[in-house]
Amino acid sequence: MKIIKRISAAMSLLLEWITVLLMVILTVVVILAVIARLLGDSFSWYDEVAAIMLAWITYYGSALAALKRRHIGFDSVLLSLHGTPRLVAVLIGEAIVLTFFILLAKAGWEVLQVLEGEYLVSLTWVPIQFTQSVIPIGAILFIICQLLSLPEYLSKTMKGISLEHAEIEEEVDSELQKNAHRIKEAS
Amino acid sequence: MLMLGIFVVLLVLICINVPIAIALAVAGVIGLVAVEGTSAIVTIALDMYAGSTKFSLIAIPMFVLAGAIMNAGGITDRLINFVSALIGFVRGGLAMVNIGVSLFFAEISGSAVADVAAMGSILIPQMKKRGYSAPFAAAVTSSSASLAIIIPPSIPMILYAASSNTSVEQLFVAGVVPGLLGAAGLMGVAYAFARRYNLPTEEAFNWRELRHTFVDALPAFALPVIILGGIFGGFVTATEAAGLAVIAALLVSAWYRNIDLKHLRRAMLDGGMQTAVVMLLVAASVLIGGFLTRAQIPQQLAEGILAVTAQQWMILLILNFFFLVVGFFLHSAAAIILVVPIVIPLINAAGIDPVHFGLVVTLNLAIGQQTPPVASVLITSCAVARANIWAVSKVNIWFILVLLAVLLLCTYVPSVPLFLVEYFYR
Repeated sequence: MKIIKRISAAMSLLLEWITVLLMVILTVVVILAVIARLLGDSFSWYDEVAAIMLAWITYYGSALAALKRRHIGFDSVLLSLHGTPRLVAVLIGEAIVLTFFILLAKAGWEVLQVLEGEYLVSLTWVPIQFTQSVIPIGAILFIICQLLSLPEYLSKTMKGISLEHAEIEEEVDSELQKNAHRIKEAS
Repeated sequence: MLMLGIFVVLLVLICINVPIAIALAVAGVIGLVAVEGTSAIVTIALDMYAGSTKFSLIAIPMFVLAGAIMNAGGITDRLINFVSALIGFVRGGLAMVNIGVSLFFAEISGSAVADVAAMGSILIPQMKKRGYSAPFAAAVTSSSASLAIIIPPSIPMILYAASSNTSVEQLFVAGVVPGLLGAAGLMGVAYAFARRYNLPTEEAFNWRELRHTFVDALPAFALPVIILGGIFGGFVTATEAAGLAVIAALLVSAWYRNIDLKHLRRAMLDGGMQTAVVMLLVAASVLIGGFLTRAQIPQQLAEGILAVTAQQWMILLILNFFFLVVGFFLHSAAAIILVVPIVIPLINAAGIDPVHFGLVVTLNLAIGQQTPPVASVLITSCAVARANIWAVSKVNIWFILVLLAVLLLCTYVPSVPLFLVEYFYR
């Protein structure tokens, strides 16, 4: 258990930095492009690069969200089941998610082979293999993250705790703490 | 038959808490394989990639980021002070302040949950101290935060525009009047409660105080001015406005000396992760969308309903009812991505303005955020107020009725949302 926690923490840190880095790049690109456009100029590579950044944020961020179990779901029915049926349903669900991403990783890998020797339209020195690599890599990261977060998800769900509610509680607690001084003043 | 099978698969997957994005993708893959064989599997990589590169959706991470920077940047306090000075003297003043601040917050953020957590954690405890009941405090916060999603910038609207090939700028404009009407309605209900339960007023109205808090909050108003002015004036696109909003958020936070690298990193991370969650839905919807289009489902639906009635009001009534039910069970982003592409051919065939319909959908989903079991905004408010969700809902019914009234008005008097659109664009 301890080793899983350690790996999760390292994985989380890595993906957090990747996500932040991609967001910084996207933000800088968008801002530069707006300023350039308002000054009457525009970058030929802006659309393509910004769209690629969005795709990368989607998949690296999704892996991170899988690690923290933040993807949008609907758990009311699951939590209304009890005991073994709930356990079975959870395991089937997880197996389906993993199967999908294994398929996606495989398909993504095959696509990379096909794209050999092709380059971006606006930046002719960037291979499309590089930009599309996000699909197989993202899929594998998603699988790893889903497995790393499975034990906690399983134990919480078996105890009947909704992850969405737990997440909201967490956010609310941190905000309440941040504003605690204000509330005292008001009294 | 195949269609029914796919639908059942989708429903079962969602019920066992498979993330909705992946449920959509899996259902799409099964449909694809059933129609074209296993050789089609390789195309899922291409579709999932293409789906995540939708250019118009770059506005989403930018607006979320601007909002996250603002939430951390000390703007909430100043807005609350200004709105208190403006309307705090009314009976039930804090409830009015709550609704008023929600309107401003709507301008700067796309995420209702983050806003409720940030604003509610300041206002709700104050309301409780001043004698407001916890359920009432939670209901006011929750309903006004949901109304805020129809006021620009709005992530559901950006998603709707992308799913239906509609102008997001026009949709933003369409949200302004209904948003203000809704706020007035909510304030009316809050006032009625305040009279009945003899809730307190805040400090007396004072011009000096108003001027002082206004000047203090002035930089914060830069954002709505940039977003609304830029877009309405036709100077920038929604995506460009989102980029400018980030610059403005950074500048304003720096002005208030409330920004540091730790907050900024947090804002980037929150923005990135929220974007990823929504974008994975968008990417996955390409898979099921491809299957639905090939099976001609949207066209069949359009023909089926048009065979029963071609009356616009009847079609809008059916769709309103449908979206309200969907809103009970799905988050707004998931609902839009899943349902809008299916009903758009019907909207076009019936001659309904897609901008008008977009506003109707967004309003429906705003109400959906107030109705359990899936009601993230309501649940957040209840968590802040430490109030039971059913106790809150009992009070909240009155506020939901206001939202429903606005929905009916906007549905059947299209000029309410559209006259500003006509004025600016047509």
